[in-house]
Amino acid sequence: MDDTVAQEKTMQTAAADDVVIHIEHLKKSFGDNEVLKDISLDLHKGENIVVLGRSGQGKSVTIQCVAGLLEPDEGNLTVLGKEVKELSEEELKDLRSKLGFLFQSGALYDSMTVRENLSFPLTRVLKMKDEAEMEKRVKDALESVGLEEAIDKYPSDLSGGMRKRVGLARTLILRPEIILYDEPTTGLDPITSREISELIVQLQEKYDTSSIIITHDMACARIVADRIAVMNDGKFIATGTYDELAKSPDELINNFFK
Amino acid sequence: MASALTSTINKYMEIVGDQVVFTGQFARNIFRDGFEWGEFLRQCFIVGYRSIGLVAITGFIIGFVLTLQTQPTLKDFGAESYVPGMVSISIIREIGPVIIALICAGKIASSIGAELGSMKVTEQIDAMEVSSANPVQYLVVTRILACTLMVPLLTIMADALALLGGWVGVNIQDHVSATLFFRKSFAALEFSDVVPSVVKTFFFGYAIGFVGCYKGYHSSRGTESVGRAANSAVVSASLWIILIDAIAVQITNLIYY
Repeated sequence: MDDTVAQEKTMQTAAADDVVIHIEHLKKSFGDNEVLKDISLDLHKGENIVVLGRSGQGKSVTIQCVAGLLEPDEGNLTVLGKEVKELSEEELKDLRSKLGFLFQSGALYDSMTVRENLSFPLTRVLKMKDEAEMEKRVKDALESVGLEEAIDKYPSDLSGGMRKRVGLARTLILRPEIILYDEPTTGLDPITSREISELIVQLQEKYDTSSIIITHDMACARIVADRIAVMNDGKFIATGTYDELAKSPDELINNFFK
Repeated sequence: MASALTSTINKYMEIVGDQVVFTGQFARNIFRDGFEWGEFLRQCFIVGYRSIGLVAITGFIIGFVLTLQTQPTLKDFGAESYVPGMVSISIIREIGPVIIALICAGKIASSIGAELGSMKVTEQIDAMEVSSANPVQYLVVTRILACTLMVPLLTIMADALALLGGWVGVNIQDHVSATLFFRKSFAALEFSDVVPSVVKTFFFGYAIGFVGCYKGYHSSRGTESVGRAANSAVVSASLWIILIDAIAVQITNLIYY
């Protein structure tokens, strides 16, 4: 009996050690608008969690809190074992270098070429000065997303899908441990959308990253999700695998899978 | 009524507080983690070199028109020989710095406000922040310093061209040699005319860069806010220029007279 309890405890500790993002009773309001009412979620190492929910439910706010772009009003938020609200500016900077964030629009710097976009974090964050090493990292990252030929183009010369790929390459160039995706397939045609979703899975396997993916795209969710968390009215109302949630009797959840 | 007034006061106090914090961020990030020389020089090129044409034409025409407007009146009093001195003092002391700063507010502050505003809307500033790069150092410090350095240089160039314009204006009706015109122009100037007017242009440049960056960096989400950022950058920068000028005149008078 004692052995069983000890074994359970060991398993729980192992699971806790495995957690890269721990969100507990997080709340965030903008004026009178309470966006996050009470959310709790754990992201485990190597796991892809998809956050589903209608627009304006607080999905993007959640990952912006994780990235330190927004400060939560209440609750605990631990990323890679560090409590985000207790971090100094320098510590937050250090933590962010281990976090990747793919923005909905790609957020490529308009005034820079693709090469400069990718070199930017290398020179500013890693303080890299070796041009040859930098060129190699840039080309490797572009090769990972299949866009080597776009190296000297400006963002305005790229299609929506290409921008997302370059954004992904820029996110990957610092070899982050966690990647946060904000609607990676929004605005793309179904074929490109599928390619991006498959790319997310390939890159997760290649670089051993853990991810939170915000999306409305069920095809994307099916391809990338190890687990899905459904958000409604500032709270997570259900979590489970794609197949588990697809069978849910809850009408709200079921509507996503129709 | 009282609550509306309180909320308006609170709103303005918030803006003042934000601007103080922004100034602090600017100051703290000037030499933090090195200096962004590449971006600073690129901004000097954009702010300075690309404004040369507009500023040069404006400067020349100011001097030219001022001469044509004043020459007949002074002629009536037999004081035509004072035209070069009058032109140089009014241009160097007041008209040159203020008009050029207002022109730069229209061209530079609006472009910085729109650029940073659109970067904010398209999440490029957030992207810099989450990738641990320092957006204040890269975007704000370089632009404010470029404006602070370039506006005085543009003003000096415009002042010189305004004097040239004055000489051309005089020669439409009379024949005055360039040597005589410029000798009389410079003879009328004193140290107290030149130095304060150059010093105040650094503040004008800072105000243009600061307001442009502040409005762009703090624009809200949505494409409409980009236009609003550009527009309010011009209005606020112009107002700041007039206010700084009024303060500069008082300080100059206290020091020299």
